[in-house]
Formats: sequence, structure tokens, C-alpha cells
Amino acid sequence: MSTNVEDLLREGMQRFTEGVRAPAGLAYRAAQRRRRRRIVRGAMLGGAAVATATAAAVAMIAAGTVAQPGTSLAQARAAALVVSRVKHALASEHNVFVGRTLSTGDQPSVTWAYGAHNRFEEFTGTQCGRVNTSGDCSHQGGSQRYLATGTALVNGKLTGAYVTYFDHKYSLSPVYKMPASACGRTAITMGGPPLPTQHWSSFIKATLDCGAAKVTGHVWINGQETIQITGKPITVRLGRGEANAVHEKYARALWTLYVNPSSYLPVRMIGVTETFGGSGGHTRFESVTNVHWLPPTSANVAKALVTIPPGYHQVKSPADQ
Amino acid sequence: MAEDQAVAELERFLADRADHLLRAAMLLTGSREAGQDLLQTALERLLRHWSTLDGDPEAYLRRTLYNLATDGFRRAGRLQRKLVLLRAEARPAADPAAEVDLRDALIRLLLQLPPRQRAVLVCRYWEQLTEAETAELLGWPEGTVKSAASRGLRRLRDLASGWQQAELHETGPRGLGG
Repeated sequence: MSTNVEDLLREGMQRFTEGVRAPAGLAYRAAQRRRRRRIVRGAMLGGAAVATATAAAVAMIAAGTVAQPGTSLAQARAAALVVSRVKHALASEHNVFVGRTLSTGDQPSVTWAYGAHNRFEEFTGTQCGRVNTSGDCSHQGGSQRYLATGTALVNGKLTGAYVTYFDHKYSLSPVYKMPASACGRTAITMGGPPLPTQHWSSFIKATLDCGAAKVTGHVWINGQETIQITGKPITVRLGRGEANAVHEKYARALWTLYVNPSSYLPVRMIGVTETFGGSGGHTRFESVTNVHWLPPTSANVAKALVTIPPGYHQVKSPADQ
Repeated sequence: MAEDQAVAELERFLADRADHLLRAAMLLTGSREAGQDLLQTALERLLRHWSTLDGDPEAYLRRTLYNLATDGFRRAGRLQRKLVLLRAEARPAADPAAEVDLRDALIRLLLQLPPRQRAVLVCRYWEQLTEAETAELLGWPEGTVKSAASRGLRRLRDLASGWQQAELHETGPRGLGG
């Protein structure tokens, strides 16, 4: 055997792949996967608004029931105080929500929301840089807009929209309805809670009432005291498609909200999703969203809508993007 | 209907080329299972563009395969992408029986190289491409290919040198090709 590293490498490669034959039907299987992915992505688009603050990877349905509220007296008192305050906080919800999210893997995103309008925009991040028309990274040129999803006004009607900037395409869908709480059968998302972008106060109240979250303390953030509300961890068995894709069986989502004690509007949100139980190895994905509330000027309100740039080509669904 | 036809055409094409492509995918990912996933993902993308494809499907497929292996994970599904990042440090346990062969050790080290260095070395030493051809396939500047190949090979040489010294120390003088 040669002692030249290049030759050894060639021989090693031959040996590593020796006798490997591709199974028959690869193209048929790819077509099947593509069809399944279309379905999943269609469902994901529906859930995109839910995932706005967390750059959702996959929407899963929590099949389990939610536990009862905490039993300690202090806990009950804290919850009661929160609930009473929340009831009086509704008037504070008329500002524009702006959430800036950083998550595992240098994946920045920004969420704008106002009433039923919302826009989640993801950027490529500095590591990826500019992308080509297939969405592949160039590792040059700095972060740029990658995709936007949320609501758009099309012919004067509010509709769901998904825009991919790298290939100049967009697709439309019905507007996703926000969940009223994080109770019961809930759409949980990668790295975070099912976050509504309107009716925050009633969402928090309902979620505390049913025990899906509890008040866990007070934390100072940027010189401001906040109330920490922690969601009950939710574990779901992954659907067959997701499980096969990631070689894991379960996903567990944990989330924490830090809210302004007077308005009960979120200041920061942290979401964590872990996968486990399969051969893929335990993983953890975390996202942190810092929230600001801006006055509802026409310029700020306009940012809560997805705009479709002129010349973009409409396709049937996100699966074609 | 059009998709059915595309699938049938793709099956015919794969009858000749699938083995080679799967082997390349294995070298890029480190296992047969992951290689098959990578190839499937590239095939999905090829199917998506089949009707508008202008030129050789193999060239498109190979380029997709390599791009996905290096940085195309942005399109490969967010969850999968995150798992790639999170598992970056986790490597398959070494097989003690395979330690005896430097060729196997080199392959294990190859699988631990950063994806871009690995892709370049697979292009150069598996696909037998020149630096210019590698640059064209990956869509990178030739200088990037050269530096990635050089860094990757340097690490492999370091390993080979360390392995030889360890062998000499443990067993006395012996040819590597023993």
C-alpha cells in the first residue's frame, strides 16, 4: 500500500463505499417524500403565524392533556394577582409588536404584528450571507432577507402569504387563526410557545387559568422588572414523517414569557425545543425574542403586513418555493 | 401526470448512476443512512425542477448533492438543519477493529473535517475532478477550493504522520502497507 496520503485516501474511499448499491425505486421514493413534504409545508404555512417569534421548524400537535395548576398557596396567590392584572391590561394592546429573535445557528428573524396583521421575516445570517436562487449560502456579503410569511392585503382582502426572496416567488393561503391559549391540544413550535400576536392578555389569562403555565418569579430585563411566566413542558411524539427525517421519537417544548407587570405585554420570550428518544442523539434548539412595542403610526402598522414585491411569480403553495 | 413521467425518466437515469451518487453521498455524510437521505433530498429538488431543467440532470444532481452537504441545509428543512448544527460535535463511535488501518482512520478523519473541506476532498479524490472542475461543480472560486483542499489534506497528513509514529512505537519498524 502506498504511503502517499492522497492515495491512501482514495483507497479508503473505495473501501468505505465498497459493495454499496443504491436501492431500487429511489426516484419514486423521492416523489413520495416530495408529496408528503408539500402536505407538511401546507400545514406549516397555516401555523406560520403561530411560529412568528420562534422561526418554527415544524408544527406538532400536542396530544396530551395539560396538568392542573400548581397547588401551593403562594403559587395560587401569584396566579390570582396576575389574572386580575391581566384583566385590566387589555387597553395596552393597541401598540405594534416588534420581536427580534436570535436562535441556535445564527438565524435572525423579526416579527411585526398589529391586530390581525402579522409579518415574520427571516434573514440568512452572517454565516450564510447572500444566497443564490436555490437558497444556498454563498458565505459572503452579509445577512439578507430570506423569506417572509404572515398576512398580506391582496385585492383589499387579508390573506395568508409566503414570500421567498431568493427565488422571487410567493404563494397565498387562508389566514391562520391564532390560538386563544396554550391549553389542551395546542400547536407547539420549534423553540417556543404557541405565541399569539394579538389579545396577549386574554391568552395569558386563559393559559394560566388552565394550568398550561404558571408564574415563576420576577426577573429584571434591561432595567425593567418583569414577571416570569413559565409554560408547562409539553412532550409530543413526533409524526412519522418528522421522526423519520430526524431519527428521533419525541420533541419537548419549553417556553418562558417575561411580561411587563403593569401592561402584561411580553418583554422577552424564550423557547426551547429538545428532541430525543431515537438514534439521532439528544438535541436542543433555543430562541430568544426581545419584544418592543411601538406606537401605532401608519408606518409602523404597515410593517405588520407582508408585501409582495413587484415582478414576483405566484406559485400554488410553499412546496413550490 | 407530468410528475409520473418525470419520475419514470429519473428512475431510468438512476439505474446507471445511482450507485456512484449514493457512494459520493455516503462520503459526504459519513454513513449509508445519511447518504441515502442526502441523495433523496437532492432527488426531490431535481424532481421539482425537472420540467424546467436545461442540460444534464446528473450535473444538476451532483451539484445539488454537494451544495446540500456543505450549506444547502437552509433549504433542507429547518429542523434537520438545526440537528446538523447541534450534532456537529457528535460523531459515530470508532470501531476498534478498524483502528488497525490507516485508510480507515483517514476516512474517519475525513468525516470530521468541516463540510466544505470534506466536499472538496471527495470531489478531488473520489470524483477525480481537477481543482477547476471542483470549483465549477461547487460554484466556488478556485482559490477557495485550493485552500479548502490544502487545509483538509494537511489535517489528514498530520493524522497519517501521528499514526505511523504510533505504529512504530508499538510494533517496531513495519511498512504501512503491511
